[in-house]
Amino acid sequence: MTRFDSDEMIVCRCEEITVGEIKEAIMQGARDVVGVKRRVRAGMGLCQGRTCEKLVQQILCQELKIAPAETGSTSPRPPVRPMTFGNLARGIVE
Amino acid sequence: MKKFDVIVIGAGAIGTSVAYHLTKKGYKTALVEKGDIANGSSSHCDAVCLICDKQPGIDTAMGQASIDYYKELAKQFTFDFEYDPKGCLYVCETEPEYEAASEYMEKQRADGYALRMIDRDELCQMEPHIAKDLAGALYTPLSGAIAVSPYKVCFAFVEEGKKLGLEIFTYRNITKINLDEKTNAVVSIETKEDGIIQTDRIVNCAGAWAPEIGILTDLHIPISPRKGTNLVSEQTERLCNHKILEYGYMMSKFDNINFKRNVSSLVESQNVAFNLEYTRANNLLVGGNRLFRGFDIRTEIETLKAISERAIRFFPELENIKCIRTYSGVRPFVIDHLPIVSDVDTIPGYYIAAGHEGDGICFSPFTGKQVAQMIAGEETDFDISKLDFARFC
Repeated sequence: MTRFDSDEMIVCRCEEITVGEIKEAIMQGARDVVGVKRRVRAGMGLCQGRTCEKLVQQILCQELKIAPAETGSTSPRPPVRPMTFGNLARGIVE
Repeated sequence: MKKFDVIVIGAGAIGTSVAYHLTKKGYKTALVEKGDIANGSSSHCDAVCLICDKQPGIDTAMGQASIDYYKELAKQFTFDFEYDPKGCLYVCETEPEYEAASEYMEKQRADGYALRMIDRDELCQMEPHIAKDLAGALYTPLSGAIAVSPYKVCFAFVEEGKKLGLEIFTYRNITKINLDEKTNAVVSIETKEDGIIQTDRIVNCAGAWAPEIGILTDLHIPISPRKGTNLVSEQTERLCNHKILEYGYMMSKFDNINFKRNVSSLVESQNVAFNLEYTRANNLLVGGNRLFRGFDIRTEIETLKAISERAIRFFPELENIKCIRTYSGVRPFVIDHLPIVSDVDTIPGYYIAAGHEGDGICFSPFTGKQVAQMIAGEETDFDISKLDFARFC
């Protein structure tokens, strides 16, 4: 598994959150993906964690010495990808 | 064996505030939570604190006190909880709504609150992106309508409390609350992870889950989960300048049951009340509705359609703005729409602060202060006798 030693590396591209910031969230008590998200916004941007969720899980594993399954994931909820409120109102899939 | 003066159960907006205020008063306090901080309602809600959604009189006075207190805390705390005075527009779709809002405004003005009515032209100036055919709005200035980040409020109380000695026990499952055989007073709690923790006092701040804690001592706490839903937009140019809500919903729900909004059957059946605000990160939060669905917080497609439809009616440009996420959460509902902030007559040392439904964030600082005063045996700032648990016994 990748070692996350460089604190400057950006993990969440949408919100520009670094390894160091995620480690800080874990220091503050975050134990899972949602806990990290709520503290530093990793996974709250346009892609909703599609890019960074796995990386955040790996950092949690590294820092807390836990198994990937224990790191949880964000709740899957519609929409699967961004869609306009107009299409959402009419129930039209783009 | 660990021993505390007070154990607070539940680390949401109410529990974290209660724990902070008790610690500040000098009580050795523990905050015990089954998950993470702000895991329940306080991270599945919106962000606004208003006086203009409260009944004239003591409800508004308590709301104003809590809003004022937030301002103080924003200065005192080093932890930033995104305090943002926003102002609020309760928009009136039709003339009858405008008239009803005017009556409400007059009552509040008589009590000294600076609410005022604004007409269509001024509304369109204040909100350039709003629909141009509305009757007007009820305006509440910055002093009576603020926003905060609900989960950051919880983190702020925790971090500031820790500086004063507050101890945090997250991811703990409470299995027992032990009472004295003779006096029935609280003597200890037990968690799976820590065993017995001694204490003379507990405060049940578990919100919609307060009944589960109540059962441990055969206490029936009449709070049930009521679901609310919000939609999150992509980051946009600021579409609105204030917190926006629709007045018609208030009327049809609370003032006049004969009043019917001119809305689709979908909007009606999903019990949608339009509201809109921007966040610091420039996402829009679009809401909302209330439904009873137990603890099921999956978002429902029909709800999302209905909220989108209603939101576009008031802000047509939403048509082409993208929704990136949706979420639902439960609000702790009490049948008379008043929270329970009280001691428990039958169990000395047992306190409850829960059941704020949609007002938990607004009343968080206020409630923490009142509970700390109550436990210290001081006179509370406000007469909270009507929040007494005994009303259900």
